[in-house]
Amino acid sequence: MLKGKRLLIALLLALAVLMSGCSLPGLSGAADNTIKVGTMSTSESQIMGNIVRLMIEHYSDAKVEMVNNLGSSIVQHQAMMNGDIDISATRYTGTDLAGALAMDSVKDPEEALKIVQREFQKRFNQTWFDSYGFANSYAFTVTRELAEKENLKMVSDLEPLVSNLKLGVDNSWLKRKGDGYQGFVQEYGFEFGKTFPMQIGLVYEAAANGKMDVVLAYTTDGRIKANDLQVLEDDKHFFPPYDTSAVARNDVLEAHPELEGILQRLSGTISTEKMQELNYEADGKMKEPAIIAEEFLEENNYFETKK
Amino acid sequence: METIHDIVYYYSQNGAYVWEQFYRHFLMSAYGVLFAAIVAIPLGIFIARHNKLSVWVISLANIVQTIPALAMLAVLMLVMGLGTNTVVFSLFLYSLLPIIKNTYTGIRNVDHALLESGKAMGMNKFQVLWMVELPMAMSVIMAGLRMALVITIGIATIGTFIGAGGLGDIILRGTNVTDGTPIILAGAIPTALMAVIADVVMGWLERKLSPIKKRKGSLKKNLREQAA
Repeated sequence: MLKGKRLLIALLLALAVLMSGCSLPGLSGAADNTIKVGTMSTSESQIMGNIVRLMIEHYSDAKVEMVNNLGSSIVQHQAMMNGDIDISATRYTGTDLAGALAMDSVKDPEEALKIVQREFQKRFNQTWFDSYGFANSYAFTVTRELAEKENLKMVSDLEPLVSNLKLGVDNSWLKRKGDGYQGFVQEYGFEFGKTFPMQIGLVYEAAANGKMDVVLAYTTDGRIKANDLQVLEDDKHFFPPYDTSAVARNDVLEAHPELEGILQRLSGTISTEKMQELNYEADGKMKEPAIIAEEFLEENNYFETKK
Repeated sequence: METIHDIVYYYSQNGAYVWEQFYRHFLMSAYGVLFAAIVAIPLGIFIARHNKLSVWVISLANIVQTIPALAMLAVLMLVMGLGTNTVVFSLFLYSLLPIIKNTYTGIRNVDHALLESGKAMGMNKFQVLWMVELPMAMSVIMAGLRMALVITIGIATIGTFIGAGGLGDIILRGTNVTDGTPIILAGAIPTALMAVIADVVMGWLERKLSPIKKRKGSLKKNLREQAA
């Protein structure tokens, strides 16, 4: 009887392998003409993924399938290596330098981009495209009111006021080594009057309500715009750069020669402010990333005039 | 009250997208049940003939059913990778038990007198199956398919974790944004609605295919015709 059971299991496995290769009408296209775009679960990643999808559909007749909600950059990387996805929509230089490449962080954004472009080509046979034009990193953020009153533009401008300021930050950042609070104090040479650890999602409102004077925010978060906050420039380049790009497997770029041009069209088209706006539409106005992407591309005429 | 207003607003903004995901969600469930039916109905008939096998097959299907959906997806993902096919396959596995069990029960419970009279009329084995057993068991088999479809519609929501899309995508997004309650509901309500509609439609089919009702209907019709 055991034999029968084994046979059944073998059959099931065979069926599984067989099915993973086949295409179901209405759900997935034929494997050779389908480009799979992977995104993370953040609104930003999904908006960019949909922009990539719509651009490909606009300029070529390839079919695009979205693989959403990959847990992290590392999961995206593994999916790329396994061939589960062909393009990852959002990859951040700082994250992948530390993650996939296991290298030391580099402060200069352009150098960091060059390194990941070179290393991904060499080690993984993948092409890292030029940045979309926005970076999602940590940034010290104040209300516009305070920025105007005290004429704050850069983090160094905070120095004369710092002993009276309350800083609201992410729980983990205070104790983090390297680019954590200790590192910050060393780099900039001043300490805030009081620090309040809190959940990252709460810092935007805490600043807007005046509960905190300065908060550490994510630069592309839509709530910066919604709460009328002002990001201060990291003038000493303390935080590693997190410029955002698409990454594609080289075999897919070869199979679809038009793809490279399509993805290049997107480089430098979205500023950090624009990304804040798009993120806010998703997080604050309940629009779906797919809809936001479509509206954005229609507004910009799919970047047809751009070369 | 405000939540309801938000949900309506959400649909007005994202109607096309929700419909796309709804369709996708339904297709995943339907494919899973369809493939399961192709395998499980013949298997059910087979084990009804070979009663010794039935214990093994049904307990195996039972074991499959006890695996938590998330664990099943995770394990299958290792073999099959990300995407819809993996989800469809796991839905296929979950659909096996109700369909096998119901086919088995349906075929076993056909009245022996009917089988005998079929044979006495000179039917061969296949004819007995096709003209007596299957019609008699059809409503029970349909009940199995109905149960399978309702189960798979529920399970398909977690397909979002391996990038398969569907209404689960909307629910998961709701958990990621600041005030996500309306978005979560906007994904959950269509899922529940789909399950209810599937249940009602399949229930209707089940009654339609039941031989007993049909006979009654035709009997009445005959009487009416005679009266006229």
